[in-house]
Amino acid sequence: MQQHKDPPVRLGSDFWIVTAVIVVLAILSIVYWAYAPIDSWMHEAVDRAAQIDLLFRFLAGTGFALAFAVLGYILYFSLKYRRRPDQDDEAIGLQIHDNHKLELWWTVIPTIFVIVLGFISVKLFLEIEPVNAAGGTHVVEALGHQWYYTFRYPGIHGEVKEMHLQVDQPVTLHVTAYDVIHSFWVPDMRLKADMVPGLVNTLVFTPKRTGRYNLVCTEFCGTFHGEMRSGTKQDAAYVYIDTPEQYQAWYSAQQRANANVSDAVAVASAGAVNLTGGDAAAGKTLFTQKCSACHAIGPFDQKIVGPGLKGVLHDPAHPSLVNGDKATPDAVAKILQNGFNGPMGTMPNQTANQLTDKDIANLVAFLDSLK
Amino acid sequence: MATEALHGGGGIADHIHPEPQGFIRKYVFSIDHKIIGIQYMITAGIFLILGGMLAELIRVQLMKANGGFMTPDTYNEVYSIHGSTMVWLVIIPMLTGGFGNFVFPLQIGARDVAFPWLNMLSFWIFPVAGLMVYASFLMGAPSAGWTEYPPMSLQGQAGTSMWAAAIFLVGVSSTLTGINFLVTILKMRAPGMTFTRMPLFVWGQFATAPLLMIATTALGAALAALFMQREFGVAFFDPTKGGSPLLWQHLFWFYSHPAVYIMILPAFGILSEVIPTFARKPIFGYKMIAFSSCAIAILGFMVWAHHMFTSGMAPALQLPFMVLTMTIAVPTGVKIFSWMTTLFGGVLRFTTAMLFSVGFVALFTLGGITGVWLAAVPFDLHAHGTYFIVAHFHYVLVGGSLMGIFAGLFFWFPKMTGRYLNETWGKVSFWLFFIGMNGTFLPMHVNGLGGQPRRTATYDPQFQGLNQIESIASFIMTAAILIIIINIIVSIRNGKRSGHNPWNARTLEWQIASPPPYYNFKHIPTVFHAPYDFSEPLPYRGLEHELEGTVYENESLQPAGVH
Repeated sequence: MQQHKDPPVRLGSDFWIVTAVIVVLAILSIVYWAYAPIDSWMHEAVDRAAQIDLLFRFLAGTGFALAFAVLGYILYFSLKYRRRPDQDDEAIGLQIHDNHKLELWWTVIPTIFVIVLGFISVKLFLEIEPVNAAGGTHVVEALGHQWYYTFRYPGIHGEVKEMHLQVDQPVTLHVTAYDVIHSFWVPDMRLKADMVPGLVNTLVFTPKRTGRYNLVCTEFCGTFHGEMRSGTKQDAAYVYIDTPEQYQAWYSAQQRANANVSDAVAVASAGAVNLTGGDAAAGKTLFTQKCSACHAIGPFDQKIVGPGLKGVLHDPAHPSLVNGDKATPDAVAKILQNGFNGPMGTMPNQTANQLTDKDIANLVAFLDSLK
Repeated sequence: MATEALHGGGGIADHIHPEPQGFIRKYVFSIDHKIIGIQYMITAGIFLILGGMLAELIRVQLMKANGGFMTPDTYNEVYSIHGSTMVWLVIIPMLTGGFGNFVFPLQIGARDVAFPWLNMLSFWIFPVAGLMVYASFLMGAPSAGWTEYPPMSLQGQAGTSMWAAAIFLVGVSSTLTGINFLVTILKMRAPGMTFTRMPLFVWGQFATAPLLMIATTALGAALAALFMQREFGVAFFDPTKGGSPLLWQHLFWFYSHPAVYIMILPAFGILSEVIPTFARKPIFGYKMIAFSSCAIAILGFMVWAHHMFTSGMAPALQLPFMVLTMTIAVPTGVKIFSWMTTLFGGVLRFTTAMLFSVGFVALFTLGGITGVWLAAVPFDLHAHGTYFIVAHFHYVLVGGSLMGIFAGLFFWFPKMTGRYLNETWGKVSFWLFFIGMNGTFLPMHVNGLGGQPRRTATYDPQFQGLNQIESIASFIMTAAILIIIINIIVSIRNGKRSGHNPWNARTLEWQIASPPPYYNFKHIPTVFHAPYDFSEPLPYRGLEHELEGTVYENESLQPAGVH
């Protein structure tokens, strides 16, 4: 294609000065990231965190080095070869088309880099993947809900609202979700697993540092996704890494507190719920736990996610429920049982809300008492 | 219909229909690729303004950790439509339907694309689909992000189904465009224009067209399934009825990862035209740039599951996706080094188009580096779903694609209108955009690694400081875009006249009048070389009469010997 031989290229001393500066910056960046105090910026709470940070040191060191090289040469060429006032419109640059040696180098070097990075990543991946990692002695299950987490422990009935782990005791963590996809992420652990309904994902790690850590949902899960993190009013849990004594104390206390809780998963009953004997006081407690995130005890228009529920059974302005049914205790129970998908969003069903038939009877009694 | 045969070269039958008269046939239901290209650009430009306004609503909300400007539900709708708009209604149509349509048929010496009526259909589907996306606000817009993962999207409001139908239509439009462009490039090049003599912008479109054709069908399947599940209860994705939420993710990313290359390969093409023109040098490593585009397009089909490293895939599947994703760094690196080396030894004219192009190389490099990081599964376990991801893809799509669009706009505006965009204001808008862009997205890397998840209406107060910097910088970026819009509106009537080849460029489109006449070429030229040898005479024959009859108001622009 090209008939003419490319002109010879001479690199001036300034090119080599710039190259030297770039090489120095690249080495500095690699050294800096090798020793950067990452642990003081963000705790390395588990063994995986330190391992993943080691990979990050490699990525950041080489990444910054490459950025210095490309940005440095672009800046240098842009300044050095910009058109001078004495050059006219017809002035042309060096008519170089290619340089096979150079092109070979910048194909081979990145290829070697990718092989090295691939090797490091695959090795680390195989170490931390649950199927390969030595299984933890401590098995915990984490469950995602809209918009909070619960946890299940062997030997503790039901579900608990905080996650406690024991330092230096290997953990196998299984995660899944009730309603939509959530995610289990503890930044200080550098570990994340999506909580997918109908699928169990697993993380295996060993806690290394005691303390309280934030738990964050990173998979969009609806209205209050942003509140599904530790320390908000949605009551998403913290993760605690305890000393053995603290852990035993917590574990025993949970065992006692949940001694009478049923392990049976609440399943929507086939027929209508029997509402006789509903306890309004118990329903009120339940309402603050299960319903008040989305429903106010106020007039219909006081919307949080769903409508305000004050007088839901006694409001002449709203003789019908949002699903069009006449406002009767049985119709309210039906919504609690089956959930409802309407213009205001989704009301979860009995299973997702973890309500027993008795709970529904109590809630309806409570709502009936609001006039 | 009356036809008029003109002399043509290379045995191409030259039946030229007379130019349609009347506003409707000429400017609305036009079959002229140049008009359709401009229609695409104006429509996508309007959606850019709308999507940008949604972006600013997001940034206003995030000024404060506890939000309060919008309800969480409104915020979720806003960011979902922002993403859908920018991907499907701005960047893809702008780069393929817009610049692709206007520029590449001229560059290969064709009088139109292969299927002009199909081209008109492709275009007219697009604004209809765009209006449907925005009409979904009326019935409750989708709110699970542009990715609309089920089961979340099954809970979404009624507009989610409307959105699925609209994006399906955009996909049909894309597929038709892909077929049209591929056939045009394969069959309608001027005599002598072998593959290695094609301008690199044409190579960019050539690598993109099969992606548009093949990948988009997977998106169509996914959207049809989502629609059926939502409207008719067919349980594709609902785990309680035996469906799989991950099925959607696989189908969606089988399209949406190649879509990333649909959004960047044509922009690479724009760069490969602008940089040699203003460096007054042949592009360095023509063949490597052309072939690396094809390599990226092929590899782009084999990496989709790297978006799903935390979703729950078999480890044996994750490994090949990780390694293949890293492999893409090699052809991409070749391109970056080639553009960088093209600057070496040049006579660089820093016009606005050149500034946007060089800025593109710098920012895309940063987005590419973080892309390699994210390919490493163990790092992705930490960074997935955080603002680090948001930072990464905005460096690629704003620092890359959008700056490429602006470079192309300033470069080809004189060809489309015969007038320059104002260069002084152009440079002002470049610097504001460059500063605003970095100010908005650089701090997001830090916040993301520090623990800020994406897609949230409120966030932990520890991230508020950097978020305020991001918001303020985003206002600067918006100011830059406003200046560009005003520049376009003013220059279209009052811009300085440019003549037919203001940048002294060498590809075919610059050798004919600005704006190009209906049917482009009086004679189809014959091509003897690739277009980038600035020391040589133009490598075309048969263009002697192209500028005849072109009269410029400004005498100094009148080509020598043509009156």
